Amino acid sequence: MKKLKRMYRIHRIFMAQEFKRMMEYKGDFIVGIISFFLVQLSNLLFLWIIFSRVPDLMGWSVNEVIFIYGLSLIPKGIDHFYFDNLWNVGFFIVRKGDFDKYLTRPVNTLFHVLSEKIQIDALGELIMGIALVCVSIPAISADWDVFRVLAMIFMIPFITLIFTGVKTITASVAFWTKRSGNVIYMFYMFSDFAKYPASIYSRVVQNVITYIIPFALTSYYPALFILKGKDPLFNLGMPVLAAVVLMGLGVFVWHRGIRAYESAGS
Amino acid sequence: MITADKLRKEFKKTVKEPGLKGSIKSLFKPKTEKVTAVRDISFEVAEGEILGFIGPNGAGKSTVIKMLTGILTPTSGSCTINGKNPVKNRKSYVKEIGVVFGQRTQLWWDLPLRETYGVLKEIYEVPDDSYKKRMAFLNEVLELDDFISSPVRTLSLGQRMRADIAASLLHSPKVLFLDEPTIGLDVVVKDNIRRAIEHINSREKTTVILTTHDLADIEQLSKRIVMIDKGSKVFDGTIAALKAEYGQIRELSFETGTPNAVKTLDYTGHFKLGADDLSLEGEGKSVKVRFNSAAVPVSDMLSYTLGKISVSDISVKDADIEEIIRRLYEQGVDG
Repeated sequence: MKKLKRMYRIHRIFMAQEFKRMMEYKGDFIVGIISFFLVQLSNLLFLWIIFSRVPDLMGWSVNEVIFIYGLSLIPKGIDHFYFDNLWNVGFFIVRKGDFDKYLTRPVNTLFHVLSEKIQIDALGELIMGIALVCVSIPAISADWDVFRVLAMIFMIPFITLIFTGVKTITASVAFWTKRSGNVIYMFYMFSDFAKYPASIYSRVVQNVITYIIPFALTSYYPALFILKGKDPLFNLGMPVLAAVVLMGLGVFVWHRGIRAYESAGS
Repeated sequence: MITADKLRKEFKKTVKEPGLKGSIKSLFKPKTEKVTAVRDISFEVAEGEILGFIGPNGAGKSTVIKMLTGILTPTSGSCTINGKNPVKNRKSYVKEIGVVFGQRTQLWWDLPLRETYGVLKEIYEVPDDSYKKRMAFLNEVLELDDFISSPVRTLSLGQRMRADIAASLLHSPKVLFLDEPTIGLDVVVKDNIRRAIEHINSREKTTVILTTHDLADIEQLSKRIVMIDKGSKVFDGTIAALKAEYGQIRELSFETGTPNAVKTLDYTGHFKLGADDLSLEGEGKSVKVRFNSAAVPVSDMLSYTLGKISVSDISVKDADIEEIIRRLYEQGVDG
């Protein structure tokens, strides 16, 4: 409990530093906000073009497809917002020896790396995801009840950890190879499959995104329960299990990686 | 306080043939070779001691420091600092040490300096009242007041180094590791930093391990030095012992108008010196002679030289640290 309190405190302080840092360069911050809205606008336009041409997808109505799309963006956005620093581990921090700093501080290194930075751009995904879910829900004729809504909210932290877990494992590769940014990228891109119902893909792809790089668990399977009430044990249980396994593996590989860390000359 | 026992660190290095072709080849058929950066180094440091850790570039100083601070895991051997193993008890261990790498900074680059100390206070769980006292003390010793409100990116190198040292001392560590804390600084700032380190050491009995290329750092701060080269310890002892043995080397260089000056000067014959005590090299008009001033006084060297040839410019230098290390290594001194 004391440990959690301390982690919360440190996290809050890092966040405050990040906001102060952004405010330090006001011009850049304002331009960033403007370009952020432009990007979101073009994304919206793009989605509208896609969905206006897809009336129905293998038994999923257009609103259900929008729901799945939106649901996939929320945890992805949360992960992107809080835990974006893992990309820097893969691309720069290890290679340049800047990881030294984390090892000389009395804070868990993974926690330090994860909580040190935030990525404002991620709010785009988050807002878009919430908007799409909210827009699609009233138009879907599912048997809504409290349990389904609660299930959706309950699942979001776990699904977020699926993203974070995959990124942690792939970022840790850098401890051995010095640079793993593109490894993170390759695996992360599989999450694009999660935007659409997994049933539209071939059997092979379905198996890969369910059991190997399980991004189908981030929206399609939970949606099967939330929208159609199907098999809660598998559709909710699997994502939770995957989150625990991936994050656990991530923590394990990370700490093994630290032993192989070679720093950089100075 | 600090015990290093046969510390060893090996790195795997990929060997590539030159050019793009070599890079592609190594992508498919990587060839690796083992590089030993540190070979079985052992030493001890007592509480409150300032140890100077020296050696030429690439000798393995930083690698040793990184093993002592828990950044690198030793390939074999072990180190214990204040009863703790840096890798196994990392989190509780790092609370007791402060680390400054002169080439890096741990300050928040974009924010006023004050912010960094605020965050470090939380990270190291320094209570409010001791934080206030500590900041007042560090202010006094390192004179941070002038720039504590400036963003870190605007600090000069000297200010940044003082700020970094203060950051490493905020939690009152028992051991302070300084890796080239005076690199790139001017004489005045160097002197300020040395005095600050001395002050903190004498007031708080902080054990200090210091690496540097500047012999003056060592001379002012530490009584004892450990010297390493190519990963091995080549000297471990007091400054006085080092000076008595190796610090008597002087380098005399001059410009001359006399043709064949090098041949005219017969130092070895005149002073009856061995090859160990003298080396002579000449190139055109400039001549350089290194000699042991314990065997021949500098004044005798000068008067003999001036009597033999015509000299237009002359300088006498202490042997620099690299030179001493080179000689130590060549002579195969074992620590």
